[in-house]
Amino acid sequence: MRSDGSVTEPSEQKSPPDASPTPTGTTGDGRRLLAAFAWGSPFTALVAAVEAFVATVLLGVPVTAAPAVVALVAFAVYSIDHVADADADAASTPDRALLARRYGDQLMVAATLAYGLAVAIAVTGGPRALALTLLPGAFWVVYASDWVPDLGRAIGTVLASATPDRRGLVGRAGATVTDGGRRSTLPRLKDVLVLNSAVVAAAWAIALTFLPIAFGGTAPGPVVAVVFAYFFLRSFVDAELPNVRDVDADAAVGVETLPVVLGVERTRHLLYGVDIVAAGTVAAAGAAGLLAWPLAGALGVGIVASVCVTALAGRIEDASVLGVAPDCSYILVGIAVAGVQLVG
Amino acid sequence: MIGLSPLSVALLAAVVTGTSGAILAWRERPEAGATWLALLLFGQVWWTTFLVFELEASTLAAKALWYDVQWLGVVIVPVGWLLFALEYTGRDRYVRPGVVAAACVAPAVTVLVVAMGDPTGLITADRRVADTAVGSFLRVDPGPWYYVIAGYTYLLGLIGSVPILRLVRDDARPFRGQSAALLVGTAVPWVSSLLHLTGAIPVPGLDPTPLAFAVSGVAYLLALSRFRLLTLTPAPRRRARQLVFEQLHDPVFVVGTEGHILDLNRCAADVFEVDRRSAIGEPADAVVPRYDALAGERGTVGPLSVVGRNGRRPYEVIVRGVTDDHGRSIGRVVVFHDIGEYLGQQQRLNVLNRVFRHDVRTETNLIHGYADQLRADPSDERALSVVKQSASRILDLSERTRTASELFDPVSEPDPPVPLGEVVAEAAADLREEYPHAEVTVDGDVPDVRVPATLRVVAANLCSNAVEHNDAASPSVWIEATIESGWVELSVADDGPGIDPAEYEALTHGVETPLEHGSGIGLWIVKWGIDQVGGRVSFAEREPRGTVVTVSVPVGDVPSGDSPPGDAEGSGTIASGDPASLGR
Repeated sequence: MRSDGSVTEPSEQKSPPDASPTPTGTTGDGRRLLAAFAWGSPFTALVAAVEAFVATVLLGVPVTAAPAVVALVAFAVYSIDHVADADADAASTPDRALLARRYGDQLMVAATLAYGLAVAIAVTGGPRALALTLLPGAFWVVYASDWVPDLGRAIGTVLASATPDRRGLVGRAGATVTDGGRRSTLPRLKDVLVLNSAVVAAAWAIALTFLPIAFGGTAPGPVVAVVFAYFFLRSFVDAELPNVRDVDADAAVGVETLPVVLGVERTRHLLYGVDIVAAGTVAAAGAAGLLAWPLAGALGVGIVASVCVTALAGRIEDASVLGVAPDCSYILVGIAVAGVQLVG
Repeated sequence: MIGLSPLSVALLAAVVTGTSGAILAWRERPEAGATWLALLLFGQVWWTTFLVFELEASTLAAKALWYDVQWLGVVIVPVGWLLFALEYTGRDRYVRPGVVAAACVAPAVTVLVVAMGDPTGLITADRRVADTAVGSFLRVDPGPWYYVIAGYTYLLGLIGSVPILRLVRDDARPFRGQSAALLVGTAVPWVSSLLHLTGAIPVPGLDPTPLAFAVSGVAYLLALSRFRLLTLTPAPRRRARQLVFEQLHDPVFVVGTEGHILDLNRCAADVFEVDRRSAIGEPADAVVPRYDALAGERGTVGPLSVVGRNGRRPYEVIVRGVTDDHGRSIGRVVVFHDIGEYLGQQQRLNVLNRVFRHDVRTETNLIHGYADQLRADPSDERALSVVKQSASRILDLSERTRTASELFDPVSEPDPPVPLGEVVAEAAADLREEYPHAEVTVDGDVPDVRVPATLRVVAANLCSNAVEHNDAASPSVWIEATIESGWVELSVADDGPGIDPAEYEALTHGVETPLEHGSGIGLWIVKWGIDQVGGRVSFAEREPRGTVVTVSVPVGDVPSGDSPPGDAEGSGTIASGDPASLGR
């Protein structure tokens, strides 16, 4: 998934430069917003459900309500994120930002009800399922909301008032910035290089790997580590790819991402490396007998798709592809895994 | 996955609405009450969630564990409700760390006892499983602390409900809707809890409170989404109304039905130099200026002349009755509105109207007549002289009008105080230069103090008037400055014919009529300038001939609350702010 919380590039997905003319007027506007909605959080929820299904199959646990819970949580978290960052997203994803601004209240109610429903379903899975369901929400609070900077600001204020040597004490407390307590000593994780993508990837990997286990009530063994590593590595790549798309906008506002710091080409090489590690993990699991080769092959489809998308980074005119293509690769994996299951 | 009883399914509905409401509330931080509402809803969800676990657990030990965990939610709910209600209704001054800590003492004790396993049976004396038609509950025999924390919960609920209840009758529809939803949201669980405690629930062991959270969750969601609970809060209203009262530039007093001061704003304390703390509870006639003129009055009274920090000023006093919700009188609000500026503007317009309508017209007619004479006889030197003198007078009038205009320019910054000696010396020097034939004498030593810069214009006009209207062959002018009780008295005496009674009458009454008006605007400039600094002007005859005009101004530029010496005593005094002198 993505470091900016986005899943798709709705406007450009719908109307690339060589597509038919964009509809105008109220109807056209409505269609654009509808498309933005469909390609936004609901699409993320669909992909999340597919991923949870893939994880269920890989782990060999019974099919449970886990995919539904993951889908609801994904819808909720990404909807809230889109509404919260509507202003910041106006440049990179204008239609989605417009939708979030215009229907912010309704989206928030829908998102929170979705999360409530996910929690309620998770309760039926027991305490561990409940805890795992709450985890993405907690991650989001740490990752994207202003709660952490607020906390940092409060700490800075306390430290500043406690000692005349403000800079020294705050520095010892591990602060990054301080100005008499007015500026936060702690940034949003969303704004921290690499850590932002790692947090998103970890949140996804934990939920996708452990929720099916919690709901299934079984202990699948070492394959858990393989599944976790696969989703973590894939999600890390997926989270960084949209940063290539947003490199100019991020650089303009001073946000440090891998493409901003390393450049697009070196980022591409780094992401190739991550995909290779993922491929190696899957191959090793196949060789060790933790994964059946057909399933390993199905995962390989996803990795190949990821490599192809990574190869496009910085080389295609319509950079919005980088927002949606990684997610589509999971649909491919889901179809492949379902095919393997059907064939037996 | 666990199999769910119908009761658990119903409880999960409360989890859905509660979680949704908690996230919505959390997101609205730092709006008033948002954090506490999120905490309240978190408590509800916590309680409900672990009740589901309790219901679905199969052993006594497991049920007991989940029952104990529920206590955290149980004790959070009332604290969250109380703090939310206080902050949401604008009583945030009570939501301080000390108050929050105090409110959390009993809940903390409860959680601590539970965490320690409740060895003495303070909260639950005995536990057993009760299988009923609707589920398998842990049935407990309450210990003494159970009733304490239950009573404490109801107490906080009641205290929190009081300010919310008051909003039900609010004029604003959104607040009525919000408060109604909140009351439903809190009343349903509380009633359910009471039914449980009184044994009115037929199912043994079933506490229906978490079930009622489904209703309260919907109510809170409705309040949050439809009535914009946290984005349209009444919290600022209370503070804003207080702020308006405090920051109003008009002095305001609140007087009780027994005639005692209940409150007064900062302006009242400043303008009338009243100590706010000691004034509360004092009889109104000892604190409110001219209260005798307001006794029993309603509506607008005045203008009344009142001496305050800004000297004597005319006030229009508005007296309004205060009634409670039942229409009973509970006091009066007395507002003093300084209308000096307004009346002054009216007066200036009046005078300027006369200047153009009478003075300029007279001079123009004169010029017109003598111009005809000059056409007939171009060598008529007298006619030429009259024309030139008339033109000079129009020019002088124009200059003085400009001076008056500058004196009251609302956008110009007032000049800083100037030394009195400088003012006197300047006035004498200008007079000697303009009228070389006049004899100008400065009597005595001039006190070494500073006076408002306006006195420069006033002194210049007084001196030029003393010579201009003097019919003596060699006019004499005496200038004297003394200081008394913080007030500077500047006297300008002349040996002229005295001030025309009509002019004096116009100045005294503050209004000119076609039959009773001054000539020029020199004396008016003196009066307006003195008004501006809260001083006074007095006129007296000089023996054997002439007039003495004395102006009193405060030392420096800040008028004191004291009246100028001799204020309002005897005739011939025109005090600043005296309504009689301002056309009323």
